[in-house]
Amino acid sequence: MVKIEHKRARLVFRLGDLKLEWTIEPRYWRNHFIAIALLLLLILGLSGKPDLLSLITTANIYACIAIPLGWQITGTGRMNFGPQFFVGIGGFTAALASIYWGWNPWQSLVLTILVSLLFALLLSRLTVIAKGLYFSLITLLLPLIFLEFTNIFNRVFRGETGLSGIAHIIDVGDIGRNYLLGCLMSLGLMLVFLYVVDKVLRSRWGVYAAAINDNENVANMLGLNINRYKIVTFAMTSVMIGIAGWFAAHYFGTFAGVTYLPLQFMLKVLLVVMIGGRGEIYGCVVGAYFVALLEHFLTRIGPIHYILFPFILLLLLLALPEGLYGLYRRHRYKEYYPTLKVRKREI
Amino acid sequence: MLLKIENVTKAFGAVKAVDGVSFDIHEGEIVGLIGPNGAGKTTLTNLISGVYKADDGKIDFLETNIVGLPPFKICHLGVSRTYQIPQPFPDLTAIANVVVAVLCGKHRANLSFGDALLEASHCLETVGLFGKRNVLAKDLTLFELRTLELARALATSPKLILIDEVMAGLNPVDGLRAVRLIRRLKEEYRLTILWIEHVMKVIMEASDRVEVLSYGKKIAEGPPKTVVDDPIVIEAYLGKKYAQSRKT
Repeated sequence: MVKIEHKRARLVFRLGDLKLEWTIEPRYWRNHFIAIALLLLLILGLSGKPDLLSLITTANIYACIAIPLGWQITGTGRMNFGPQFFVGIGGFTAALASIYWGWNPWQSLVLTILVSLLFALLLSRLTVIAKGLYFSLITLLLPLIFLEFTNIFNRVFRGETGLSGIAHIIDVGDIGRNYLLGCLMSLGLMLVFLYVVDKVLRSRWGVYAAAINDNENVANMLGLNINRYKIVTFAMTSVMIGIAGWFAAHYFGTFAGVTYLPLQFMLKVLLVVMIGGRGEIYGCVVGAYFVALLEHFLTRIGPIHYILFPFILLLLLLALPEGLYGLYRRHRYKEYYPTLKVRKREI
Repeated sequence: MLLKIENVTKAFGAVKAVDGVSFDIHEGEIVGLIGPNGAGKTTLTNLISGVYKADDGKIDFLETNIVGLPPFKICHLGVSRTYQIPQPFPDLTAIANVVVAVLCGKHRANLSFGDALLEASHCLETVGLFGKRNVLAKDLTLFELRTLELARALATSPKLILIDEVMAGLNPVDGLRAVRLIRRLKEEYRLTILWIEHVMKVIMEASDRVEVLSYGKKIAEGPPKTVVDDPIVIEAYLGKKYAQSRKT
């Protein structure tokens, strides 16, 4: 029989010789494993409902785009308004390789990484020569140009209808299980992205990113080779966004330029980043789930959601310029990443 | 010789901001750079630190020509600077501001992040800002920002520091504290300083030698006391009339 005792700020569970302590104080709850366990439970709980599993997968894909984007915005000190360009690059590479050459998802992943890297390196010079509004404008136009490109080369890209018949990311023979495993894989991918970006931002690269975001000229004066850093950041984050596109293509089995490349999709990603807060990667996850749910409910009220989305974005910009996480951080500003504390060792 | 400037010229359109300026700075000196507003003092600092590229002339730092080098390479060679209007990283804490300089400044092999934090704390302690290490730079006072800039400049392990108007906007008490701090740093870290300043009293007391610029040209140089009595310098600062009335 399990005995539960309440000792000051702890709950103690006893089962025979086994003793388990749980700290009640909320500041100890910010534990990654709790969040992961909750998400896993949610997914497993919804295993019989493919539509809701797709919803969670969509949220994870949004997060996979927003997490590297958050790093990119900070690390280059520039607002990228066209992250969906690399979603398109990744998705179309995967789709074309799968349909025309019959490649499986893992083969097309390698090609996606290479193609995304190539485009990222070609465009990375933009972070050096274009600043502020110009950078935003150019990046805003890139996906739209790509969309036109897919319409012109309709025979290859199937601009209007999109490419279908892409090999599924996982196929175990049972559709219900496919959905469940795909959803778990999307969660895994999101967690990997979160882990990688978190590690990077907590290292010295995080300090460089924050310095470039605040004042790149001063950072240059203090000995930081800002151009090299910005190019590397842009390339790495773009490849990560490309991988998100690859996943979307292989999960849904179809990939259409009209879904991912227009401004509506960018608005969603922007909303995710805005809700999370600029450069706040954990906020992106909250934002992604919020936007996916919002989209789910708004689509029921008809095409008006195309107007509601920008409206909500505008409201958020006015009311919460630092996002929902910004509210939290305003009270705990010392935790602005990278968190640096010099602690005295207790003797 | 640490720094040798030879016939350096920089023009912005038709305006020659710096026009054929030459002087040397030896190791361990404090050289004052004075002149009326718009004389080209800050432009000269920007030329030395690599913000601008000189149109003509040569700037040798430790026998290396640094004209055309990007700012970060000049910083690695050992030139650091502070700004007239403090330019911290506003959203970073004081210690994070200094850590950037420690990590990016002069190359040190195998410098871990922890070591860099320790070094940054040491720099903050030297300028008396350790107590505010976890305060965001945007929440610091002007005097604290100036000391933070000094700590940041120090953290890059420089040989030469270019100080741009440290007294600007400070009250006399804080100004005196800043001047004392700079003199102490110079002794402790064996620095060489090129000091731009408007407050003549500070320059008179602190510098070993003074260079005077007016309309981009060097008009005088020498020990502070000789320079302030020079009629050309008086004319540049106070006008022809005053210079003539002083003669008679």
